[in-house]
Amino acid sequence: MIRVLIADDEGMIRSALAALLRLEGDIDVIAECSDGLQAVAEAERLLPDVCLLDLEMPGMDGVEVAEKLRRTVATRFVIVTRHARPGVLRRALAAGVSGFLPKSREAGEVAAVIRQVAAGGRYIDPEIAADALSDERCPLTIRELDVLRLGQHGETTAQIARALNLAPGTVRNHISLVLTKLSVDTRQQAVIMAKERGWI
Amino acid sequence: MSGTYSGGVTADIAPEPRSLPVRSTSRGVRVTWWYTASAIMFFELTLVLTWAATVRAGGFDILPTWAVLIGGLLWCGSTVPLILAYRHRTGEPTAVQWRIIALPISTAIAYGVFAFALSGLGLLLVVPLAQTLQLLDWPRSVRLRMVLAVTALLVCLWIVDAHAVDDGSLDITAGYFPVGFLSSGLPVMTVLSLWWWDVLIALDRARVSEARLAATQERLSVATDVHDLQGHHLQVIALQLELTERLLRSDPDAALEQLKAARVSVDEARQGTRDLATRFRSVPLRDELANARDLLRAAGIVAENVVDSDVNGAPASVFGPVIRETTTNVLRHGGGKHTTLTLQRAGDFWRYEITNDTDAAVPTPAREGTGLDGIARRAEEAGGELEIVRGESEFTVIVTVPVAAQ
Repeated sequence: MIRVLIADDEGMIRSALAALLRLEGDIDVIAECSDGLQAVAEAERLLPDVCLLDLEMPGMDGVEVAEKLRRTVATRFVIVTRHARPGVLRRALAAGVSGFLPKSREAGEVAAVIRQVAAGGRYIDPEIAADALSDERCPLTIRELDVLRLGQHGETTAQIARALNLAPGTVRNHISLVLTKLSVDTRQQAVIMAKERGWI
Repeated sequence: MSGTYSGGVTADIAPEPRSLPVRSTSRGVRVTWWYTASAIMFFELTLVLTWAATVRAGGFDILPTWAVLIGGLLWCGSTVPLILAYRHRTGEPTAVQWRIIALPISTAIAYGVFAFALSGLGLLLVVPLAQTLQLLDWPRSVRLRMVLAVTALLVCLWIVDAHAVDDGSLDITAGYFPVGFLSSGLPVMTVLSLWWWDVLIALDRARVSEARLAATQERLSVATDVHDLQGHHLQVIALQLELTERLLRSDPDAALEQLKAARVSVDEARQGTRDLATRFRSVPLRDELANARDLLRAAGIVAENVVDSDVNGAPASVFGPVIRETTTNVLRHGGGKHTTLTLQRAGDFWRYEITNDTDAAVPTPAREGTGLDGIARRAEEAGGELEIVRGESEFTVIVTVPVAAQ
């Protein structure tokens, strides 16, 4: 039996998927969680073979759950998503996720992926891979990324300048170029966008 | 990025790159502003220098000349805040901000009186104040009337001054014509420069709102398409479910058929929605290859790209799907540690090659083969071919397509 933990904040989808997976003879759904924090706690307690995580969950998303658990629990991760944001597949692969598929796949396919992943394989849905390959490339230079990275926790321009050995005016120029390139209004928005897309 | 699309919305239009961010020319606008402001300052400084030169040529001592020059520089300096304030005017009528304009106006009056007292030229009395007033934020009609009146006044003063010079009652003998011309022309030139700036800002605002409008229309049209599509499919599904309900007791097998048909409809609706959402998504082949490399690296595979510089000229309709399919295959197989993606031009052919080492210990994915069939079909349609090399520890897919084929 493959012991599976399911985490999804949408109760209807979670329970329907759990019921369908239980119909498969070799899969046992041992936990149903409604958010990321609960998923982490339950996974650490029950040590499932496979964690089936929804990407879009409040608080902690599926990839963050995987990032946190991979160090503490010997388990494998499958991420399901309704709409894969740019850069998320790269983030998930870097976090050691073994399976990635859209929510629209039927339960039989999900079960097949769970089996494949439990056996040590990897499954990336072609639709998700196609999306990831047509992501826009990062328009920022290495220096501009440095400025964003060093300022991501709200550091002042002067602090960033000191860390990079640049003049504050130069840092301000970099920031204004970043804002123009990404067409956002604040440095914080630029940081959020760059993080989401896996640029920093 | 900004979520705006360019191009039309009909389904048969080829995907276009998305439009640049709306603010991309703000730098050009900024530069034009500094050009405008420095032109006005340049006129003012030229005029002050000409006055000083005229006073000097008129036989005055060095001291009054310096006084006219330094006073003139102070007056020019006093107009700077007004010019800077003009940049951010909204065009809406605003209350007079005495705090900003009091000092420039009194400086202009003081300098005019001072220069007139020294030189006796009527133009020098009026021009500083006339110029300073042009820089205030007047409504357009007021500005036009004012500049015409002021210019008329200055021309009259020029004539009066010229008579005085001719009579010899003024101690200036040479070079009065350029002074008169520059002095009476300054307000007009200033107003023209500011008008040029106003026009530019109006154009820039129009450009921004046009881009917004296009984006909004795009969104509206996509929303309509989604609504039509979903509405159609939901209606079909409702009918199929109703039929299922009726058939359930009398003919369970037929009911089951209807249920299956309903599920197919759901899938079609989902696929249609996805196609709508991704209709405009396309990136150059070079970016697609770079994305593939980044994905493979993120999955812990050592990946390298060997790509010609003119690779974006290769037929994306063939190689795009091929890159996607083969990259997905490498990701799915796992186990491998090295991958090389190559897209190069070899004579009359574009040649794409992806090589990865294989690991026998990893289970084979369920649907292998179907992807490669698709690739072979695409390559053949473009007049090219697919070659697969299964080595002992390596797996290579090669797709060649003639250059002419698009």
